[in-house]
Amino acid sequence: MTDAGFVIAAYGVILAGIGLYAAWLARRLRMARESLQRRDGDVDEAG
Amino acid sequence: MKTRILGFVALAAVIGAAINGLFLVPADLNQGDAQRIMYVHVASAWIAYASFGVTALAGLGYLIWRDLRLDALALAGAEVGVMFTAFAIWGGMMWGRPVWGVYWQWEDPRLTTTALLLALYVGYLLLRRLTDDPARRAARAAVVGLIAAVDIPIVHFSVIWWRGLHQGPTIGDPSKILHPSAPLLFVMALLVMLGALTLVWVYLLIRRYQLARLDWEREDDVRRGRVEAARRVTVVASGAEEPAG
Repeated sequence: MTDAGFVIAAYGVILAGIGLYAAWLARRLRMARESLQRRDGDVDEAG
Repeated sequence: MKTRILGFVALAAVIGAAINGLFLVPADLNQGDAQRIMYVHVASAWIAYASFGVTALAGLGYLIWRDLRLDALALAGAEVGVMFTAFAIWGGMMWGRPVWGVYWQWEDPRLTTTALLLALYVGYLLLRRLTDDPARRAARAAVVGLIAAVDIPIVHFSVIWWRGLHQGPTIGDPSKILHPSAPLLFVMALLVMLGALTLVWVYLLIRRYQLARLDWEREDDVRRGRVEAARRVTVVASGAEEPAG
């Protein structure tokens, strides 16, 4: 592999990794919020 | 909303810093283009230190004040720090192969202590899964986070204390603060990348902290559900016993 190949591999994995982690966090946050909203809805209905 | 704006600013900053490091700053005379990896590699390593520093301080704060919000912050620091340590190692391997001729060398103190740092904080994250009790989990994690933090200065100063394959600090050597070994243009590009990745780090830290707080609430629901179920079982059992008695 050429120097440019190593540079692309380094930047590519690191920047893509940050992007994937941010997206994964956003998804988990959305799911957690939806789950709590559902619970609050159930509590309101029960009340 | 403010966090979302921070996310967009961080994204723009990282793209700008990457363009600067990849295309605008000249290549190194000796190492050629491979030296460009230094900007993401070194910045990732520093942010990993900061992240684990947050974990240690928040853990210490938890042991003093017993506030679970500090435990959530410690968790956020550890998870984000593990990611940046992995990136620092990956960047180092991609830089090491063209410059040293090898991806990795276990005899090198910097590489080995960094691998140990990664293992320690992966262990920290695994330890947190061993118990559902938030207070016990937070206390155990705080102690482990503080012990693991001892490795941070060892990693940083390993290139000064011991001989190895890894080069000395670029600008982190206390005796070279005013006279860094790298040219000023390279140091500036590194600081630009460090600034951009710091914005990303703060954004991820906030998001992970928010998730930890929401996870608590869900755990709390599960625990309350268990207590309620146990209470019902007790009532049913005592109700079944009453006629017999």
